[in-house]
Amino acid sequence: MPGPDGPLESSTPPAGPAVAGPEGAKGRPGFAAELREIVQDLWHYRELLYQLTLRDVRIRYKQAIMGFGWALFMPSLIVLSGFLVRIVMAHLSGTTLETSSVAGIAVKAMPWGFFVGAIGFATGSLTGNLNLVTKIYFPREVLPLASVLAMGFDTLIGTAALIAVLPLLGVTLSAALLWVPVLALLVFCFTAGVSLLLSCANLFFRDVKYIVQLLLTFGIFFTPVFFDAVMFGPTGLHIVMLNPLAPLLEGLRLSVVQGHHLLVPLIETTSSGQQVLVWSPWYLGYSAVWAVLGLLGGAVLFHRAEFLFAEYV
Amino acid sequence: MPCCSTGRSSSSPNTCDASMTAPGIEVRGVWKKFRRGEIHDSLRDLVPALARRVLGRIPKSGALAPGEFWALQDIDFEVRPGQALGIIGSNGAGKSTILKTMTRILRPNRGYCTVGGRIGALIEVAAGFHPDLTGRENVFLQGAIMGMPAHLAREKFDAIVEFSGIADFIDTPVKRYSSGMHARLGFSIAAHLDPDVLIIDEVLSVGDFAFQRKAFDRIATLAKSGIPVVVVSHQLDRIAALCTEALLLERGRIAHRGPAADCIATYVLGDNRAPVDAADCPVRLERLAMAGPSEVRSGDWARFRISGTVLRPVTENLELVALRIRALQTGEVVFATSSSHCEVELPPIGPFAVDVALQLNVPAANYVIETNVWDPIRHRDASPGPTTRIEVTEGASFYGPVQMNAGMALARDPS
Repeated sequence: MPGPDGPLESSTPPAGPAVAGPEGAKGRPGFAAELREIVQDLWHYRELLYQLTLRDVRIRYKQAIMGFGWALFMPSLIVLSGFLVRIVMAHLSGTTLETSSVAGIAVKAMPWGFFVGAIGFATGSLTGNLNLVTKIYFPREVLPLASVLAMGFDTLIGTAALIAVLPLLGVTLSAALLWVPVLALLVFCFTAGVSLLLSCANLFFRDVKYIVQLLLTFGIFFTPVFFDAVMFGPTGLHIVMLNPLAPLLEGLRLSVVQGHHLLVPLIETTSSGQQVLVWSPWYLGYSAVWAVLGLLGGAVLFHRAEFLFAEYV
Repeated sequence: MPCCSTGRSSSSPNTCDASMTAPGIEVRGVWKKFRRGEIHDSLRDLVPALARRVLGRIPKSGALAPGEFWALQDIDFEVRPGQALGIIGSNGAGKSTILKTMTRILRPNRGYCTVGGRIGALIEVAAGFHPDLTGRENVFLQGAIMGMPAHLAREKFDAIVEFSGIADFIDTPVKRYSSGMHARLGFSIAAHLDPDVLIIDEVLSVGDFAFQRKAFDRIATLAKSGIPVVVVSHQLDRIAALCTEALLLERGRIAHRGPAADCIATYVLGDNRAPVDAADCPVRLERLAMAGPSEVRSGDWARFRISGTVLRPVTENLELVALRIRALQTGEVVFATSSSHCEVELPPIGPFAVDVALQLNVPAANYVIETNVWDPIRHRDASPGPTTRIEVTEGASFYGPVQMNAGMALARDPS
């Protein structure tokens, strides 16, 4: 039986006229038990998750000029902007822009577009469905997760187009491509975790969505999408890689464009003969920890706050 | 701390409860507090609140912080299979809050609710509709929101569309629906949930007259199929028709519990005792005495005497001895009259008594006779008088809500 207190309230059983259930003083369940509960809930409501994802996908393509072209528009725009930035950089440093750099930008534009889009939609997912949140019971996790999944669907379409284009940019098949699903999964987990946290935060404080919008707009300057992390020099690389998304994006570029095996460090020799570290497997480990802890932590925090949603909206 | 693997948890899916709990609703010692005004909705308010929490100066959840109030106090009841419980009370009495704790939208501050089995909640039946999606798409979406498994939604799709009566528009976006069509489709989905427990909140008045009847019949069928049912409604006659038992809520407390008719009677009578400033009323009604037994057969006459005092000469336009017969089952006034309609003049001053005779051409049920001094200008009681209950039993039989004293004779020239 549930404890008498909400998860964010006092955990001491109150003295008062009413007596709580016999298990009333048991307190909140452990982390693992809560995770199991979340998974059970989601499994039970998998049909709802599917239907909400379908809804989010459908409404984006109904009564819209762009139709499915929308899925290509945003990544194309990112690639184009990156292309422009890199041309200017090449011009200033007196070199030419290689096609592999363009391929790198194109590869990184996909997960970045996914992250920005998913976070943008998910942040408002609870507040945009208040009539459901206050009236009908279902695990509220499905709302932000459906936004993320719907964006995932868009990204798949974009990725299909990207796969068609990449050979033209000189990308060849390699065993390192097997890293792509792993990295994609990590990006998904991290995005889902952040989405859960932000949607929940936005329910309590409506200004969160404005802050998020700002961060997403300027986030591209703190994430190696247009540029490669190695361009910042040895110290700069470490700092850039602190962004949990950075190793995932760089990992995608290295595995797809350069066919690099990500469990091996990559050291490149620059034109001036210097040995420069480009990739270390530790980066991947660091991001993986963020992704997994982000998802688990986000899910549990969301779950604990869930009971307050209907009251605090 | 023991692992809660064996405990029923409020946040596990309903189906998990089903295997462990008997079908039914159990609400035990539920207290729920709400806050008046805005809750800290900016960081400026949150930081001090968090600081207090961290420093351990949390107000006990048994006590009320300033601005808080109990929306539910010690609510305790259960509904077993075959029972249909009605919940009645004025606005803000806590009816919907109880439903929300049962459907796990709100978590009680104290006490617990367990619901065994899949809940079918007929609450906001069209809340999940997306205007840009077609009726067909919305059926599956709303079905999923209400917890309908995919195979059931596909299986019942035709029945849902047929019940709603909007088959021609099922592939039209619902934004082009009329509000009646919208509500009908929503109700039809909810009505095909096949729940283990049914919870109904004010959805008995959707659509036109024909659909309302159809909807009510559907709910009555569900309610009589033996599953536990909870109904919240202001339509007291619906509660009376559907429910075996009822709860009367008053400001978050259970004020009365009992057979639906009794409970409705308590509610209706209590509601009438609203204080009226009767100090300057020229007439005071003091006594209402039945001449016979308080049990009368339908179609028979009831006789009683109303006595009172004229305190000062009457200058206002008042109906001095007014009378209302109210059906206790529904709270509806079925008949009203007054001394001025019956052309009775009261003495200019001093005590008086008026003898009244009423032919009770009403169906067998419980009624209340209310007396009052009626102010027709301001349309309210100028001064309330005594009341009495009267039970009308089956009598000279007639069918329908009114006795029309039908006469029939065989015609001699059938042409």
